[in-house]
Amino acid sequence: MAAFTVHTSAATSLYSPAGTAILLRSRSRAYPTTTTIRVSCSKTVVIGVAADSGCGKSTFMRRLTSVLGGGAESPRGGNPNSNTLVSDTATVICLDDYHSLDRAGRKAKGVTALDPRAHDFDLMYEQVRAIKEGRAVEKPVYNHVTGRLDPPELITPPEILVIKGLHPMYDERVRDLLDLSIYLDISNEVKFKWKVQRDMAERGHSLENIRASIEARKPDFDAYIEPQKQYADAVIEVLPTQLIPGPGDDEGKVLRVKLIMKEGVEHFAPVYLFDEGSTVNWIPCGRKLSCSYPGIRFAYGFGTYFGHEVSVVEMDGQFDKLDELIYVETHLSNLSTKFYGEVAQQMLKHADFPGSSNGTGLFQTIVGLKIRDLYEQIVARR
Amino acid sequence: MASTVASLSIPATTFAAADVLPRRKAASRIWFPVARRGGFAVRSTGPATPPDISDKLSESIKEAEATCADEKGTAECAAAWDNVEEISAAASHARDNLKENSDPLEKYCKDNPETDECRIYDN
Repeated sequence: MAAFTVHTSAATSLYSPAGTAILLRSRSRAYPTTTTIRVSCSKTVVIGVAADSGCGKSTFMRRLTSVLGGGAESPRGGNPNSNTLVSDTATVICLDDYHSLDRAGRKAKGVTALDPRAHDFDLMYEQVRAIKEGRAVEKPVYNHVTGRLDPPELITPPEILVIKGLHPMYDERVRDLLDLSIYLDISNEVKFKWKVQRDMAERGHSLENIRASIEARKPDFDAYIEPQKQYADAVIEVLPTQLIPGPGDDEGKVLRVKLIMKEGVEHFAPVYLFDEGSTVNWIPCGRKLSCSYPGIRFAYGFGTYFGHEVSVVEMDGQFDKLDELIYVETHLSNLSTKFYGEVAQQMLKHADFPGSSNGTGLFQTIVGLKIRDLYEQIVARR
Repeated sequence: MASTVASLSIPATTFAAADVLPRRKAASRIWFPVARRGGFAVRSTGPATPPDISDKLSESIKEAEATCADEKGTAECAAAWDNVEEISAAASHARDNLKENSDPLEKYCKDNPETDECRIYDN
């Protein structure tokens, strides 16, 4: 790319951490974007997660970092409004940091944060590639409180890098860097119920406002975010439950969750129920296991999703007790657990997290185990 | 306590400023449920959003409503509501952070529930 100029150590810059060897500048940046400091020789595993929940410790990230080991905290001594989470093995980067337009800029241009025009994909690609190759980067920080871009923070290459945001799979170059990509697909009804739960306590919010907000964002969402579904290796689709007739469940607690897994992805073996490649409809509640209303229903099958072969495991209903969890885990296969009952143990460990009693928690935990398995396979292959 | 004795003689009108956040002040002075000037917003009993974010949020909602009152389907309207969504998400994360950071033991136990300090006994 013609935009780069490579300087030797004689170059000056605004930020010069000790030991800088080479400084790369990209066009029209006010601050230097990449510093090369040799940290590790092994390549970082990069996971992409597409989710519309903003930056912060979302439940999925908490479960993931728990499975991978170690608690995730903000980088020590840095910007308190940093969106990055660092744990022993993993670093989670929020893609909002690559906004090219801050809040004022977007307002002036009439552009939403969903629009790719508000993001700097070139910088995203450079930096993710640099981290993957083992070089530390100075990543910009987008402050969600002020709505402006703050001075950059240093990110050193971790063993596992998770890039979370609205557009991890939008740019083709970034997509090629991902070892595994996940898309969290929340249906509109569930999204509305969750937002009501989240926002109703706030002054000034009302049901109409929440509905208007979702409606206004929908065109951009459908145009720019939804198409990423076709590139994802795993999609967690959250739908309203079919077990409760009518508009019964108002809080969005009982859910029907599908885990759609692409076939043929390297280091990723889809989960199955009983018999791989068959179609199964299973209600575990009966003589051996007693469940409370509305019960649990599982389904497993295969099909095509945007032209790819996929396996789909689906759970509808709610877990009520530990027995149900273990019973279900016993019958699922290819979970990549290290010992019998690991899924149940992880779910219980975080029983206070949202989704711990339904398929969202279950499938998020399973995806976390799959990521761990993928990482270990890649490391073993080196 | 001297402060509570003193407040018995203070007329109710001086409570008006303090009454804006009644829950916060209630612990430190006697609070007469007599004529209160001005209403106060009913707040939920969950963790409160930090006031700066909360103010930004209500401002952005008003702005979005104003922008969209004229023409509904425009890009400005979408950008305004997207702004509201962004600030709502930030407020939600700020609330979670407050809840997390209030008690260091809770915070530690959330990440390390298997340690001895965090064991819970049911019976």
